Amino acid sequence: MVARPELLEQISDALQKGEDERVGELTRSAIEGEIPPREILDGGLIAGMNVIGKQFRDHQIFLPDVLLAARAMYAGMDLLRPLFIEEGIPSIGKVVLGTVQGDLHDIGKNLVGIMLRGAGFEVIDLGKDVPPRTFVETAEAEQANVIGMSTLLTTTTPVMEQVTDLLSQKGLNSSIRTIVGGAPVTSDLAREIGADSYGYDAANAVDCVKALYDELNAG
Amino acid sequence: MSRTVFFDAMDVIPDRADVFDHQKIPDEAEIPEHIERLLEEAEALFIQHAHPAGILSELEPKDFKEIFEGEGKNAEDAVVASIYPQADHLALFAATMGHEVSTQIEVLFAQNEFALGSMLDSVASQAADRTSTMLEKAFLDELRSREGNAEDRVVLGYSPGYCGWHITGQKKLFDHLGPEEIDIALNDSCLMTPLKSVSGVLIAAPREVHLFDVGFSYCASCQHHSCLPRLERLREAGGTDSPHD
Repeated sequence: MVARPELLEQISDALQKGEDERVGELTRSAIEGEIPPREILDGGLIAGMNVIGKQFRDHQIFLPDVLLAARAMYAGMDLLRPLFIEEGIPSIGKVVLGTVQGDLHDIGKNLVGIMLRGAGFEVIDLGKDVPPRTFVETAEAEQANVIGMSTLLTTTTPVMEQVTDLLSQKGLNSSIRTIVGGAPVTSDLAREIGADSYGYDAANAVDCVKALYDELNAG
Repeated sequence: MSRTVFFDAMDVIPDRADVFDHQKIPDEAEIPEHIERLLEEAEALFIQHAHPAGILSELEPKDFKEIFEGEGKNAEDAVVASIYPQADHLALFAATMGHEVSTQIEVLFAQNEFALGSMLDSVASQAADRTSTMLEKAFLDELRSREGNAEDRVVLGYSPGYCGWHITGQKKLFDHLGPEEIDIALNDSCLMTPLKSVSGVLIAAPREVHLFDVGFSYCASCQHHSCLPRLERLREAGGTDSPHD
């Protein structure tokens, strides 16, 4: 029987190497060894993704490495998810994510979703071509505190503003924060349209969402 | 009068450097073997699922004015505005990699094959750009066969959404070109589907007409700067060769 810290380290190492099948096997062993799911997630999977995130930010590895690690993360998460539901363990935060109405580009949005899940967030992915009202209504219904919006088109950035306006009209802008991103989006534009944060890439978006949650928790 | 051109997927496979650039992997980086394998796998999927096609429609420079002006939203200093009136010949164009390759990218993401899906997305995006370059060359070849070698003539493509030509210019361009013939559609946001599609105008003109210095009002917010290597190639190229020969 492998000791608990060693097993979690093995999960983290295998994840960093993008070995999805190995991560699945090790996660199964950890579950059978009665390591609490939260500990497997935090000490194994998220610990590994944190290393990957740092290496990516430091330009030591490339995007495909991050995505291979994310696939390995999902192999472990698929086994843990039913236990989380069964035991009612909450995620560290919920994010409603989508590509705004009028735009069908979703690669960037998908990358953000993958990395947010890798950081331990629950992501409600609304897909692409999402109307403003759907973002807000889903965040309300799911009690999510962050809405993430993506677009690749200059013609659809006004849709992002419609979401922030809708939140203000409903008096929800202090409890539901917004983050925007995509090729035509800048930090200036984010401010202009009343968004709370701007992520310049997928890794940065995760840091921004963490900061938004820190602000909400501190408030 | 429009004409369609079909390409072999193999012929539009982009340079690996362009794909890695799209993946934000720096030029000087040593590419690990597992990433090389991913690229090979993505290229194989591209060949299997892409159906590249293009459409060209020649028109008189004077007839392009209305199309270019679109909904009146272009930048006052739009580069194309100063280039097209000096053109010898113009042709509207569109090209697509087809629906199937976009569907395949979605399938890969749904199967958690994120790295491969993302690599295929990069291959398809760069292939679409390569196809527009091939259309530039096809148009130049056609002009040469019709009129002989015009000294220093260069054909380059310019697209709505770039260089001050507002994206809403797509609407009139589509009305005139009819790219539905190769199954490209435009939505209310002026977005083309399939996503891996390109469109614009091919401008045949003397080399110096295409040269400009960047630094326009809209350059600051441009995320692409794809004009820079093109201008560099244009300045370096000599004789009557196209900069993409």
